[in-house]
Amino acid sequence: MEGRCAVETWTEFGFSGTPYTPKIKFGLGTNVFLCTGSDEVFVFSTQERKLRAVLQFPGPVSDLVECHDKQLLYVSCRSGVYCISFPFLLSRVQSSPADASSSPAELKISSDFLVVGEEGALSLLLVSSVLLILSQRDTSWLLSLYKTPEQTQSSSYEMLGSFRLPQVLADLNSDTEGQTGTRRRPVLVCVHPGHPKSPSSSSTSSSEMTITDSHFCLEPVLFKLLFGIDAALARSPVILCGLPDGRLCFLPLRLPGSQLRVLRSLEQPVVFVGASVVMETGPGLARCLVAVGEQGRVVLMKTDKGEPEGGGDMAGFIEGCVPGPVVCSFVDEHHLYYSTGSDLLVLDLSEGSSWREGKERDGETSRKTAAAFQSPTSLNVCRVIALAAPALNTTGDVQLLGLTIRGQLQRIILPAGREDAGSSNLPSTQVGRSVRDLLSAIGDVCERASVLKTAIKSKNQILRHLNHVLNISFLLLANKNSEEHLPMQEKQIRCYAETRWSRLLQKDSLNLTCVLDNSSPYVLEQGWTLSITVFPLSYSSSAEGESSSTNFSFPFHNLNPGETLEVSLPLSAAGDTSFPMRVSCSLIFSLSSLLGEEETAHLPSLQSSCISLPLNTLTVDWLHTLQVNSPTMHPISRNATSQSSNITTDTVQAFLNSHRSRCAGRGEGGGEGASKAEREQCSASVRVSSELLRDTLVLKSSDLDPRGPKSTPQNLCSSLLDWLLYESPEGVKMGHQGDRFVLSSSVVHARGPTGDTVKLTAKEVNVGEESLRAIEVQIESSSIAAVCGLHHAVLRRIQTLLQIAPERAASTMRVQSLGLRQALQRA
Amino acid sequence: MSDKMYQPTNLLNKWVQENNELVNKCKFAFASSFQQQEGGGDTLSRDQNQTPLRSYSSEFHKLLRKIQGVPPLVNHTHLELSVVYNACVCSTAQSQFTEAELLLIQAIQRALQMTGDEPVASNRTVFWRTVLKSVGNTTFNTCVRYLLCLQWAIWLATCQLTIIQELKEELSSLFETLCGGVGDDKKNEARGKSSDIPLLVTDPRGLVELLQICTSIIQGAERLSEGQSSEALSALQTASSLPAPRALLAYVHFLSGSCLAHMSRPQMALQCYRKALVTDACCVSALYQSMLIYRQLGNTQAEIQALRLLQSTLMLPSVTVPALATTHLLSPSLLLCSQSLSSLLSVPSALSVLHSLALKCVLHGRVSEGVEHYLDLLAALHSEDQHGVHAEAPALPRLPELYLEAGAALLMARRPADCMALCNEVISTTLELLPEKVVLEDPEETSEAETRDMSVDGEDRVGMLLWTGAAYLLQGHCHTHLKDWKQAVTHYTRCINLLVRVRFKKKGFQPQITSGDMVVKQGTHLCILQRLKGLSLAGRGISFTQTDQLKEALRDLLLSLQASPECVGAGLWCGEVLWRLGRRQEAAACWEKTWSFTTQHHSAEGLPVYLQEPQSGPLLDSTELRHRIQELGPN
Repeated sequence: MEGRCAVETWTEFGFSGTPYTPKIKFGLGTNVFLCTGSDEVFVFSTQERKLRAVLQFPGPVSDLVECHDKQLLYVSCRSGVYCISFPFLLSRVQSSPADASSSPAELKISSDFLVVGEEGALSLLLVSSVLLILSQRDTSWLLSLYKTPEQTQSSSYEMLGSFRLPQVLADLNSDTEGQTGTRRRPVLVCVHPGHPKSPSSSSTSSSEMTITDSHFCLEPVLFKLLFGIDAALARSPVILCGLPDGRLCFLPLRLPGSQLRVLRSLEQPVVFVGASVVMETGPGLARCLVAVGEQGRVVLMKTDKGEPEGGGDMAGFIEGCVPGPVVCSFVDEHHLYYSTGSDLLVLDLSEGSSWREGKERDGETSRKTAAAFQSPTSLNVCRVIALAAPALNTTGDVQLLGLTIRGQLQRIILPAGREDAGSSNLPSTQVGRSVRDLLSAIGDVCERASVLKTAIKSKNQILRHLNHVLNISFLLLANKNSEEHLPMQEKQIRCYAETRWSRLLQKDSLNLTCVLDNSSPYVLEQGWTLSITVFPLSYSSSAEGESSSTNFSFPFHNLNPGETLEVSLPLSAAGDTSFPMRVSCSLIFSLSSLLGEEETAHLPSLQSSCISLPLNTLTVDWLHTLQVNSPTMHPISRNATSQSSNITTDTVQAFLNSHRSRCAGRGEGGGEGASKAEREQCSASVRVSSELLRDTLVLKSSDLDPRGPKSTPQNLCSSLLDWLLYESPEGVKMGHQGDRFVLSSSVVHARGPTGDTVKLTAKEVNVGEESLRAIEVQIESSSIAAVCGLHHAVLRRIQTLLQIAPERAASTMRVQSLGLRQALQRA
Repeated sequence: MSDKMYQPTNLLNKWVQENNELVNKCKFAFASSFQQQEGGGDTLSRDQNQTPLRSYSSEFHKLLRKIQGVPPLVNHTHLELSVVYNACVCSTAQSQFTEAELLLIQAIQRALQMTGDEPVASNRTVFWRTVLKSVGNTTFNTCVRYLLCLQWAIWLATCQLTIIQELKEELSSLFETLCGGVGDDKKNEARGKSSDIPLLVTDPRGLVELLQICTSIIQGAERLSEGQSSEALSALQTASSLPAPRALLAYVHFLSGSCLAHMSRPQMALQCYRKALVTDACCVSALYQSMLIYRQLGNTQAEIQALRLLQSTLMLPSVTVPALATTHLLSPSLLLCSQSLSSLLSVPSALSVLHSLALKCVLHGRVSEGVEHYLDLLAALHSEDQHGVHAEAPALPRLPELYLEAGAALLMARRPADCMALCNEVISTTLELLPEKVVLEDPEETSEAETRDMSVDGEDRVGMLLWTGAAYLLQGHCHTHLKDWKQAVTHYTRCINLLVRVRFKKKGFQPQITSGDMVVKQGTHLCILQRLKGLSLAGRGISFTQTDQLKEALRDLLLSLQASPECVGAGLWCGEVLWRLGRRQEAAACWEKTWSFTTQHHSAEGLPVYLQEPQSGPLLDSTELRHRIQELGPN
């Protein structure tokens, strides 16, 4: 069993969803500065264990850095960098009401404190008297150097220069942004060359810059190997810069002509850059640079002793991957601490440092390396999103400052006996650990457990959902494979439709009401979309037809077994004659709806992927578009109140049309067209065997119609018309305004979609010598388009009738249809 | 009814007032920031200007939106176009060129809707021609001209020189009308006080003058870079009489000088550069180019003089962008952004100028001055204020080389202790990284590439070894200078020990220790290696002669001559040792050979300063040696 950490919560802030990653910084005495990414910076006193001040900035705070010598605090904000003098801050805090013990002082930072008006500053670093600002411009990273004034705060900050680095891999960056909603702050640290040989110079330099979490002294050989001889000769501090695009760049600060150069690429956003493995002998010289990426890649940079043959030391890069995302990280003398958001883990680097020393670089050691990276030790502290080390380490234990996602500032005291980890018997010091520590640890475990629970629950939910989706997919695919054998009615999930004329703003339009019927045993859950594509049949082969297709999508929530979903869509306006139309229905399931929005944003390729399952295809033909007039009235004299205006306009229109065509005819063809007093009627006819009709229609209608079998020719005629107009053999039927007319006569007057009147007549005729009795359906209209369309529609209907007719009937029946051309000629 | 009539005029007055208030505020703010600018660096104040400028820009845009909310009215046009002008000036000053251009075109189209005809905006040239024609003598003629000025500025700032060339006539007539109509302008200004005339943020007349000279400068630079020097020269000469700020006139003179230099008339070019310097003392590029011409002419004294001037000018606080006395929001630096111009104007950094100066001084006999410059340079490199922000070519040499050069200079100036300290620095930095063994490939292209590019891990090991060797060599020279022969031998030996780590590998052969009979290219690692070998062996040989170890001395000197036959000291001392050993005929032959070498060629020319033969060691007098040969001769 591992030793437990003592977690002590100092204070709690409420915060959520901020534009920048939070940061904690220990500095300027015993204060902790917190910037949570929002507009505020909190100043917490570790001595008094309370929040001393809240600094309110005009925009989200991206970074802060303190200057020890001058007691200044630099804070970068959207509009630029602000500089606040700490003594001034304290005086303001003290001058505020004396009962400040209860509430911290709130200070609004105005633009008077603005020292550098550089927009979009993301990270700050102070190297002696130079303030470095890293910001992101359109396509490049910009590192600007400003000279801080010697004495007074009022004098200006002189810009010394700037370095540009073009951006690469924008995807990598946007990916993380999309996932968390916050921008990852680039890491900016400074590496100083350590000079053990000249103690006098190092002591002066160390007095200027104290070793904090963004300044380290590196062992000279490693420094030379990584950053070059020139930087070492010039004793130039080197700026290391870990970018969200994964690159680790360096810049020798005081070398003329130096440029930002890439040291290494982690290929994932850099979370942390630090130095570790302090030599026992040298004072504070790091022997190893550590860089940590967001997805767990760890790169250790250290000196490799060269082989005796080749001679000379080399810079060694050891790469490894720790499990889990890394939210924040911290390095102390021998350990790398990192938080995955759900747990705080520790990795022993001193083990790692010996992996290569004096050993052959064979497969075994590298495997050992990988194994060591794979097995970090859990500290059982959850939800830590920012880490820092307190400057004072009085007791000698390892202490960390953590900020949790809930805004709790915690002091994490690591178990002292952890170095000899693995030994099962706890050291006596640890037994005496207070109950409070144990309780807080238990609380942490509880919190972690609840996080895991919700994660498992949502996973189960998704699996159940996916199961439903797969069931439905198999059902529909099975349907598709056996489509020929299954009549439409037997499909368990299908669509049927109804056409309906409606009138809106003086314009008639034909609407299609589609009904999705779920008679399967499965629920159509959230994520399904009914997609309906409408395209004219006659153009479907040509390129023009593709452009004229219209697509409608109807996402819906839940459709339980036995329920129906009714959607309505505009089919065409009056005057449009692109019938027959094909309506193809399909069900689409988007995979992104399986996962929540967060996960989807994480996998951009998933957003567009979906399952599309075709349902069935419906055809809307001319017969569906007819508006049948009441059989009792003559179409012209009828004055149904709802449609009177419609009729008059129609007749006027018809008159105008005929007039125009007559004029045209006169103009072109001379006197021939003018001689005909009345406009010519086109007509076409279709003949069907009466026997067949009797077999099929009467059989069909007998159970529908309570008036019993109709066998008389007159009845047969009217029932044929009735069937043509109102039945729905393929799932589409004609809607009707008001009551459905009972067709008693064998003549139907109707208006087509173009407004022409159409007359359908059914009568019994004898065909040929065998005196085969047949029913002739004659279509008459002044519009050729209407006649052609209706003729086609009637033929198609009768063909389907033949398909459903019994075998016997089919063998004897005979259909004769006169060609359209003949009919026209006769007309 | 009267109320209705009153309303629009009232609104108009209000807007005019709003505009004028904004203009006055803007002018005031700019004037005060300009005063600041004169004190401090230019870059910073430009940056600080951006913020108030942005707010003024948005204010103007807001006002414009209000005005354009009303359908175009003839009596609003003057105001509207003036506000468009102001807004566009603010946008252009913030380098938002496309926005400004779009705004401008749309405003003109809107204005032209009132006159009835609407020009097609497909081609900018055609568009402006039609606009100028259709505007003709209408009331807003001047306003449209002002907007054309702005369009010109945008074209110039975005380097669209072809359009400017196409519209050359229109633009020159614009220049003449705006600058010619002085009286008209005065009248306008007088009326402007009466507060019913909308004010403008910058005076269009001044702007057009600026545009004219900037266009000439950029066109000159472009032509020069295309090689049309004589055409560029004639255009520049006409431009030199234009009214313009001093700094811009200096540019014109400078460019004329560059044209002349291209046409290989160095003396006339120098005249032009001098004129540029007289016009504007801060025109560093003229100084730099004159220095290059002096170098070309071989006038070393003048070159050193020019370098010194250039260096001291570059050290002045704000010299890179001279303070241009401008009343415009649109600064010349905004308008002069052509690539070829900036490459013509580019000047190396102060440090690299200082280095050239120091090196020149040392090479041409002004050792003490050169040493001072080297020390200044090293001090600058180590100062806290040094920041590697200058990245122009020619860059400084690598720092170790700089240290060694400075060390050699110090030794020449008889300061061996300082020289040794510098060499110690180099040695302590590199020593830990030196390879035990290294192979130098024959075709040195690969290692050549590595030398230039200071890669992180593959830091050029051979180069490093040679630097360390050179440092030991210099230390040996120092001890020789101090007549501490034992120490000298130690250091020369260290150098030799380092050098034998390098094996030379010819293609298809085994690696071998280098020998003198190989053909060596100048400037390569191999060349430096041989030279170092020659010098260190010679140094050790000479030291041995001083301690009377003649056998060892002869061995070393012969080896030295084998490695680097052109070594004069080694040749003479070899003869001397032979003489002392009683082999007089051989000695005479050796001397004769050495003298013939020195008259033949000076192979030390291309080598770094620290690889020159030391002048400070024990010397042999050639005349005395000739005497000896003559004495020997009759024998």
